[in-house]
Amino acid sequence: MNDSAATGENTNYYFDNAATSWPKPERVYGAAEKQMRSMFGNPGRSGHTRTLEADRLIYKTREAVGRLFNIKDPARIVFTLNATDALNMALKGFLDEGDHVLHTAMDHNSVLRPLSRLTKEKNITSTTIPCSAEGYPSLEKLKSALKKKTRLLVINHASNVTGTIMPLKEMSDLAHAEGAAVLVDAAQTAGTFPIYVERLGIDMMAFTGHKGLLGPTGTGGLYIRPGLDIKPLREGGTGSQSELDTHPEEMPERLEAGTLNSAGLAGLLEGITYIMDTGLENIRKHEQGLHRYMFNRLTEIPKIKLYGPPADHHCACIISITTGQADSGEIGYILENNYSILCRTGLHCAPLAHQAIGSFPAGTIRFSPGPFSTTRDIDYLVNALQDVCAMIR
Amino acid sequence: MTYSCYITFPTIFYAIRAEEILKSSSYKNKMLPVPRSISSSCGTALNCQCNDINSIKNHLLENNCKIEGCYKLCEEGLNTLSVEELLIDE
Repeated sequence: MNDSAATGENTNYYFDNAATSWPKPERVYGAAEKQMRSMFGNPGRSGHTRTLEADRLIYKTREAVGRLFNIKDPARIVFTLNATDALNMALKGFLDEGDHVLHTAMDHNSVLRPLSRLTKEKNITSTTIPCSAEGYPSLEKLKSALKKKTRLLVINHASNVTGTIMPLKEMSDLAHAEGAAVLVDAAQTAGTFPIYVERLGIDMMAFTGHKGLLGPTGTGGLYIRPGLDIKPLREGGTGSQSELDTHPEEMPERLEAGTLNSAGLAGLLEGITYIMDTGLENIRKHEQGLHRYMFNRLTEIPKIKLYGPPADHHCACIISITTGQADSGEIGYILENNYSILCRTGLHCAPLAHQAIGSFPAGTIRFSPGPFSTTRDIDYLVNALQDVCAMIR
Repeated sequence: MTYSCYITFPTIFYAIRAEEILKSSSYKNKMLPVPRSISSSCGTALNCQCNDINSIKNHLLENNCKIEGCYKLCEEGLNTLSVEELLIDE
């Protein structure tokens, strides 16, 4: 992938795009700054030109998200702080007292922790669908776990630990056949994988803006299909119907209260525009190639154990490894201090996933190249890991 | 006395959608704060020529733009003398 930001001064080898993407396309930085300097009105509030410019920007961003995810009505997309915020909104706004929820072992704490609270406060029950060492869920177990009272299936589209892609259609079809709704966590796939939200009949989908969508932190959103209403997580100022003491019912304002992150959304618009201009398929192919290359090169180092699907599988560009009994945090520290390599170590907010793949409680060292990474970066990483592994007894 | 016409919207999303839809038309229009004499959910309204309001309303509805109301104001200087609500479902 080409972009001026990616070819500028770069003193780091960045392998942590699953946490947040870097670098961003140059236009993303510029758009956020331009918004703050000249399109600074509070969207939806006043009637002056600066506000209208901000309103138009928010509208365009919503439309761009809709185009990317093949959603016909952008009013069904609400902006949130990130994917965690969107998942909280979906789980706490949708689930009622006594509901049953299914999710997989590959889910992130952004799903597990809200479910834990809802178990205590709303008496909901949840069942974890076990996953293989490669991170794939058992569809048979899913089928048998679907009960009469199952109201929701949560699907983590791609694991943030192994990059494993869940069989979205098969899982959605099974849930819908039993009358359960489907909530998709697209934190690791939005911007890299095509997602036909309406064709798949997805009921709700959470996404973040600062990973694959290449936007700033503090951006994200939740899609809610037409006909489905969830309770708002927060209520307050919208700039509309100010005389009423109740929050407006009309989407998207129904689920958006308080001033939106206009500067962030300006950057997000440019991130999505970059993806559309470059081609989602081109980005996916590039990252798939990097994944395969990195997987194969890492197998050259005998002390490294790789987790997750093999190189020829369709998966997100994420690889987890361990190096014998060496502490993953210490290896990460050496990689940064001696080689300027940035990666993420530990449990990656997904303890059940590490239990499934056999790396709990020590965790793994995770490498996640991005759209601007190259095979040369990976060669550098592999050479560094060869040096580091030589130090391990 | 002069007359001016406004279309109001349930949210700012639809106000901006209306503006986008009308960009490719020849209807003269501009987005303005909703006059105090009109009740509206959204603080921004579309101001247009009264001869065009019915056609604009239909054009917006055909393009999946929700509207809340259509109004004709009779004004003298900065004073509003009367407000007539026009039917949406004509």
